[in-house]
Amino acid sequence: MADILLYRPHFVAFIILFLLGMYIMVVCLNLVKKLIGMYIMQTSIILFFITLAVKEEGTIPILMPSALALPPEAYANPLPHVLMLTAIVVGVSTLGVSLAMVIALYRKYNTLEEDQILEKMQ
Amino acid sequence: MTSSLPGFLFAIPFFAAIAIPVAGFTNQKLCRPVALGALVLLSIVSVIGLSEAVSHGPLSHEFGGWAPPIGIEWVIDGLSGILMVAISIVSLIALVQAGPLVKKELSGRLIPFYSLSLLLIAALGGMVLAGDLFNLFVFLEIGSLASYVLVGVTGGRSLLSAFRYLILGTIGASLYLLGVGYFYAATGTLNMVDMAQQLPGLLDSRAILTGLLFIVLGLSIKMGLFPLHGWLPDAYTYAPNSTTPLLASVVTKVPLYAFVRIAFWVFGMDAVSVQIPVLVVLGWIGAVAAIVGAYLAIWQENFKRMLAYSSVSSMGLFVLGFSLGTETGFAGGLFYVLADTLMKAALFGVAGAAVYQCGANTVADLVRLRRNMPWVSAALLVSALSMVGIPPTAGFFGKWYLVVGALEAEKYFAVATILVTSMLTALYFFRMFQHMWAEEPRPLTEPRVLETPFPIRMSLGILTFGIMALGLGSDFVVGLIFESVIPEGF
Repeated sequence: MADILLYRPHFVAFIILFLLGMYIMVVCLNLVKKLIGMYIMQTSIILFFITLAVKEEGTIPILMPSALALPPEAYANPLPHVLMLTAIVVGVSTLGVSLAMVIALYRKYNTLEEDQILEKMQ
Repeated sequence: MTSSLPGFLFAIPFFAAIAIPVAGFTNQKLCRPVALGALVLLSIVSVIGLSEAVSHGPLSHEFGGWAPPIGIEWVIDGLSGILMVAISIVSLIALVQAGPLVKKELSGRLIPFYSLSLLLIAALGGMVLAGDLFNLFVFLEIGSLASYVLVGVTGGRSLLSAFRYLILGTIGASLYLLGVGYFYAATGTLNMVDMAQQLPGLLDSRAILTGLLFIVLGLSIKMGLFPLHGWLPDAYTYAPNSTTPLLASVVTKVPLYAFVRIAFWVFGMDAVSVQIPVLVVLGWIGAVAAIVGAYLAIWQENFKRMLAYSSVSSMGLFVLGFSLGTETGFAGGLFYVLADTLMKAALFGVAGAAVYQCGANTVADLVRLRRNMPWVSAALLVSALSMVGIPPTAGFFGKWYLVVGALEAEKYFAVATILVTSMLTALYFFRMFQHMWAEEPRPLTEPRVLETPFPIRMSLGILTFGIMALGLGSDFVVGLIFESVIPEGF
């Protein structure tokens, strides 16, 4: 356990954020808080992917015409960044759809608490 | 063999989804012809794709001229071809049927309905065709977003169930993405074929084990596998009747496809049954899901909710079939998936027609169908008998091959599960028949309603015919599955 904290602190940060987000999503009754939890959870996964790409003393993966090409090991891995750009877009569109749903629910029931909405439905 | 067919299969519904708002902007009446035309074209192209893939081997398309594993690859092989044909044809029938319902339920909001339905179909096609785990995630989310909106579009109760579906679905998708991250960290690739070559040496790795766990969990939420089916009954019950045939027939089947693809093609039979025994665990979960789903369905008063629990039960049977580990079990599972897409489209279509014509929401209300709607009653009778498993319907042959596969694998608990599930299914459908035929008809003073509009009758007729035809032609379909789908390692 101590090893993980020492050598892989980013994994610990990721796990804490992921569980925190999931906890908020499951436990909070307020719909907007649920969405905040959802966003924290999605962000934690993005951080996880980005930390996979990091290399010690790695440089940005751009081939400059002026400079000589370095060996491939010297560049940070660009693929996780690209994947996460897509994942961010997916996350933003999910958030957009869910916020639209929350607005429609608020207009109809005049509250954001799930239990009160359920009460008003009866 | 390289071919651009996989690209077309995605492009047809996708560009139709974009064209519908443009066409509907000037004249709303154009939406329906554009959508149905695109789906007819899609059905034809996917049948061509399947026959090409069966006769000449898998067709693949590389995007941007980059060869895989670096580039993105889309593939039509036997499995994705069969599912693509099922998705396109069933969704065509479901949208034909939706016509009159959309006018009544969604107060004529044709543009969003048809546009989102086609976007959903495009995303399902993308998931089926993707040869790359991350691509699969993106299409999973596009399809889920479209289905959240389709569930919640009528507001009120359906909106809250759609919101819950969204929360759970996002947890599922995040878990899947996390699993893909673990796989990427361990293998350095996302292409399924390339990953399949690297995995055998890495099966001891804890990253692979954890990643597989996350992927199975995430996809189980998306496919509504008991006990992670929490979103499903509410979403199916409160979703508008115009969308439930489409949702219930195809949306949960495609995450199941993703699981089958990852388990049997990326990992391989040996890895998932011996080295990491996922299939053993899933076999038990599937058995419990099948029985509990059917048991819960018995107690439902609402007809659509009963069918939703029946979907939970069917999902258990599919998972059980795929986890048997024999060729016949696999073929039976896949055949039952095909049969279930037809049966669920027909049953939810009947539910929609019942509400549309005589406001019949509960199982007891279905008595009204008997006197007024002979066509719809006949469709309900055939599809219910198929769900129970009475020959010569498709449902019977699906269960038959599952039982034979279970006997071959010498898994007697699976045989018992399939039989018990059939009996429970018979119980809740016979309860429905009792309401429909055994009770005294209500007094004739009750206002007489007419038979449903022609599009509903026609599509229910085609689905009923399809259930019978799939049953009678089961030899051909199962032969096709044996010949060109069964993965290596069985």
